Amino acid sequence: MNSSEIKKLIISSLNEDSDPAEVSRKLEEEGVSYDFSKGFNEKVIDRIFSARLTVTREVEFVKSLNFAFYRIALTGVAAIVVLLISIFLMEGSISFNSFLGLSDSYDESIVCLLTGN
Amino acid sequence: MIKESYKAAEESQLVKAALDGDKSAFGEIVTRYQKMVARTVKSMLGDSVFAEDIGQEVFIKLYYSLSEFRGEAKLSTYIQKIAVNLTLNEIKRRKRFFSMFSQKGNNEMYEFEVADHDTAERKEASELVNKALLAMDPKFRVIVMMRMLQGYSTKETAEILDLPVGTVLSRLSRAQEQLKSILEKL
Repeated sequence: MNSSEIKKLIISSLNEDSDPAEVSRKLEEEGVSYDFSKGFNEKVIDRIFSARLTVTREVEFVKSLNFAFYRIALTGVAAIVVLLISIFLMEGSISFNSFLGLSDSYDESIVCLLTGN
Repeated sequence: MIKESYKAAEESQLVKAALDGDKSAFGEIVTRYQKMVARTVKSMLGDSVFAEDIGQEVFIKLYYSLSEFRGEAKLSTYIQKIAVNLTLNEIKRRKRFFSMFSQKGNNEMYEFEVADHDTAERKEASELVNKALLAMDPKFRVIVMMRMLQGYSTKETAEILDLPVGTVLSRLSRAQEQLKSILEKL
């Protein structure tokens, strides 16, 4: 087909009564074809499944981080409870002063301690 | 890479196996439809690395939305919808980019290559179609591509583009006028 015939075919392909499947077949015969480069299939599969692997690894990392956080938090809470119990046993109460180790001190002695008078 | 058993497998069987994470089944889907996607993407965007990237994106999007495919329409229609949407988005993105950073005209946003092994006549036909398509307004280009290269009927085109049949028909006639004036200059 020469270029004017191709032009006619292209324009007639948009006529309402034309057979679009026939036109596309004819154009393909004339060399109007498209394809992706070699290895396209493999590239797509690699992109999908390597991305899935990365996502899985990220999820696993977040899960381990959460687990580590809970372990650290529980250990901290346990340490605080042990501290409070030991303060209660030593001081007989859990007041703010006893928590700061000031339960035996009077205000005057603290002033004296700080000012030297 | 692709299991022999999938070569003759039905679409529904391939979809089910791909949803179960079977690489070979999805590979067979890519093999079956990559030419169709290439026709959409490369005729609309030109033959470039970017078109290859968009082609890959089409199948990646398909993979992640395969669970939403209910099998009411053909798988090819579903893939075509994804391809058209991603391609039109890419055209919009390029238009924004070129209007901001470049003085280049609409036609220079695209590039295309013709296969070296083709004869002069076949090269000429391919060049003519590509030049004409890339010079068209994208909203007409997509209609022409669907009809002329993919061989879709007006009804199928309307379904894929989510447009009323009347709109497709009026765009077809306006696209024909635009195409005539472009081809006169080529």
